Amino acid sequence: MSTMPVSSSTLLPLELVDKCIGSRIHIIMKNDKEMVGTLAGFDDFVNMLLEDVTEYESTPEGRRITKLDQILLNGNNITMLVPGGDMPE
Amino acid sequence: MADEFENIPSITVKEPLDLVRLSLDERIYVKMRNDREIRGRLHAYDQHMNMILSDAEETITTIEIDEETYEEVYRTTKRNIPMMFVRGDGVILVSPPMRTS
Amino acid sequence: MNRKEALSSFIQQIHGRPVVVKLNSGVDYRGVLACLDGYMNIALEQTEEYVNGQLKNKFGDAFIRGNNVLYISTQKRRI
Repeated sequence: MSTMPVSSSTLLPLELVDKCIGSRIHIIMKNDKEMVGTLAGFDDFVNMLLEDVTEYESTPEGRRITKLDQILLNGNNITMLVPGGDMPE
Repeated sequence: MADEFENIPSITVKEPLDLVRLSLDERIYVKMRNDREIRGRLHAYDQHMNMILSDAEETITTIEIDEETYEEVYRTTKRNIPMMFVRGDGVILVSPPMRTS
Repeated sequence: MNRKEALSSFIQQIHGRPVVVKLNSGVDYRGVLACLDGYMNIALEQTEEYVNGQLKNKFGDAFIRGNNVLYISTQKRRI
């Protein structure tokens, strides 16, 4: 790899995720599911360990909410990560 | 290395695929995508969960909406297949026969 | 890599514990986690299959192919 003149302001995408460890994070999945939880850790595939999670699913009967203590979330179906744990609208 | 003690043949399940290895030559249940299920004798498998099954019975579940009552009607169709190859990417779950408990 | 340690210690710690495995299809499997690999392939014991919250099936042991897995969860409370 050539040494790029990395300015101190550039941040690798995963470094941003790393900065979220210990805080609330909002995750948007491919299949319209959303999760909010405290990020405890993640790996190179962005599989994530989350705590005190709320899962939001939209079903024909309306939105379903599930509370989970601790989950290992498969990174495969993640589309977006939003720092901060605001409720999805 | 201390790990050499672990070479003793055991029936422990150390990784998920061991569960499948223990089911070789047994009748297994396979749940597939597209609402298909297969019961058959497992002859071979690989790391993708491609499998060879014999004396297999395939069950296909379809949901039809009754035109008049709008009720959902589950319909299952079965067929027997003497020998088949199952492509691993369609597999959801594999269960060995219940062990006598 | 500190961020990975939390994941690997969780993975070690959940062996033998009751878990809920949720698939992308929405189906839940409850059982005791026997083991797990890097593809998120899972071996479960005393497995119960829940579709729309209703018990549909029971398996002594079950292998779940990792690509179907949405998450593995410990200790669940439903609202």
